[in-house]
Amino acid sequence: MTMDRRTALGVGGAVAAGTLLAPGIHLIAAPQRTEAKAGRRWAMLIDVTKCTEECTGCSDACAKENNIPQIEDKDRQIQYIRKLKIEDKAGKKPPISLPVLCNHCEHPPCEHVCPTSATFIRKDGLVLVDKHRCIGCRYCMIACPYKARSLVYQENETPVAELNGETPIRAAGVVEKCSFCVHLIDKGELPACVQSCNQSHGGAMMFGDLNDPNSEIAKKVAEVKSLTLRADLGLKPHVHYQGL
Amino acid sequence: MISKFTAIQGESFDYWKIVGLFGALFVLGLLAFGYIEIQGHHVTGMNQKVVWGLPHVFAISLLVMASGALNLASMATVFGAEPYKQFRRFSAFLAIALLVGGLLVLIADLGRPDRGLLTMIHMNFRSMFTWNVFLYSGFVVLCFLYLWSMMEHEKYVKITGSAAFPGRVILTTGTGSIFGVIHAREVFHSAITGPTFIAVSLSSGTAICFLLLASTFKATGREFHPKLISGMRNMLIFFTLAVFYLIVVEKFTKSYSPAFYDVEKWVLTGQWAWLFWGGIVLAGIVAPLAILTHKTWGNSLNGVMLASGLAIIGEVSFIAHVLLAGQTYPFNPFPGYVVSSSFQDGAFGHYVPSLSEFMLGMGGVGVAGLIYLLGIKFFRLLPKKAEAPEHWAPWNP
Repeated sequence: MTMDRRTALGVGGAVAAGTLLAPGIHLIAAPQRTEAKAGRRWAMLIDVTKCTEECTGCSDACAKENNIPQIEDKDRQIQYIRKLKIEDKAGKKPPISLPVLCNHCEHPPCEHVCPTSATFIRKDGLVLVDKHRCIGCRYCMIACPYKARSLVYQENETPVAELNGETPIRAAGVVEKCSFCVHLIDKGELPACVQSCNQSHGGAMMFGDLNDPNSEIAKKVAEVKSLTLRADLGLKPHVHYQGL
Repeated sequence: MISKFTAIQGESFDYWKIVGLFGALFVLGLLAFGYIEIQGHHVTGMNQKVVWGLPHVFAISLLVMASGALNLASMATVFGAEPYKQFRRFSAFLAIALLVGGLLVLIADLGRPDRGLLTMIHMNFRSMFTWNVFLYSGFVVLCFLYLWSMMEHEKYVKITGSAAFPGRVILTTGTGSIFGVIHAREVFHSAITGPTFIAVSLSSGTAICFLLLASTFKATGREFHPKLISGMRNMLIFFTLAVFYLIVVEKFTKSYSPAFYDVEKWVLTGQWAWLFWGGIVLAGIVAPLAILTHKTWGNSLNGVMLASGLAIIGEVSFIAHVLLAGQTYPFNPFPGYVVSSSFQDGAFGHYVPSLSEFMLGMGGVGVAGLIYLLGIKFFRLLPKKAEAPEHWAPWNP
């Protein structure tokens, strides 16, 4: 079959026009997102004075609960929560060790930049990633000021027997991060890191609904002096730190 | 004034040799894509700090160059520079070829390229990436319409050409804004990133046009009027000066603010400083300006071709520097404190591209090259002879 130049141009133009128009057409209905109870605002308060440098109870529990593969390659490890050591440049104050995780911001830049809305905010303020919708563009990793996101560089090879059946296994190529253990919250339980910290470690973490004035966390946040990270960016993060 | 447009014959062994070369690059790109897709991105040099690597450098360089490639057409249609009218078809076609090559690399480097269609189904209109989906596809449509009117309905050329002009300005601003709007990264965040991308696109786009025109004309034994060489040389001088000016303004602005002292010192002396000084400043600005303003070299075809090649090296260096310096500068959620962690907080990132990334990027170059080579054979894109009117004197800065 031969095609004259006029037809070739026409076909090319039609394909290009289709490409332009296609983005505006919703070919497939968006899947329903789990809608949590509106009005709630899950938040965390961390008392850094109870954190020690040696303790990794929160990050260990997180890795186990969320099926995070233990990758030897340090450059490509996945970490939802990590222990950070901060030191005063002048060396006048003792170093502080504290956990850092996704801050579930009210205005999350990750959600703002995600082209497919794979990152979304649930009604209760949780910032979550739809692992079926993430295309692995990594723009959210560029935009997050807390370095809270990781790309899954390779398939999870953990034996099935060692996996937690309640949390999904992320396929290679998608971006993932802390969900505040949404599967546990929805069952009325605390995130794994908070449970571990309070049961067998320093008891530095408190979790709850900040919008409920009777909740322990709401009372504590009102009572003590706490800070959020990079408040200058105006993202309204929901991980508060006491004792910084 | 314009001599008739003709397709090249494209029957010589040399022509098919070049087609074969670009075809081989395309195949290498495909192999690299399959390898990365099957193995996962851990076979690349990318890591949790540097998540956009060499494929992005290739992709963005091609996209930025694509917008600039439309320059000759815009000069004729929008700015009324008649002598460039003979290059309009070539210019619009090359813009499409480069854009397609760049986009393919961008899509192939996604963590889940199989889900690429999702960008067209579930859209987040607050995302600069979503905007870019429209800008890229819109630009291709505008170039097609422009090309169609040039070949079939000259009466629409002014409208389509005038629409393509803001299209390319917005496209390049959008590409630059992918970085410029990110508040969390000190190296990226700047209102001037968009305009700098435009200046870089103008210089590299003009350079690639000149290189391809000159080499195609040479290879096919067509004449190229020396006045046109001077005209494009002068354009290149002007655009290179614009790049220089915008980079100086950005450095001056950031260096004036104490909050940016550390980051700017690192940009100018740190691990990617060689890309800045060697790639952007020396290869992209100083050397082309020295050649183009030289009495002899600036007036010779080979001299301007060399300067054009250097301008393209400068453009790729600019993109690579923005990307890599921006990502490797340490994250610090506690400004004013020294931080450390097992997740490399506070540490400089490192990145060594793998062969597969290079092959993937070259695959995009292969696609763009193939489209160009087949385009000039099957469409009447080039004038038989590149002429310049006697009364015309190219603008001389």
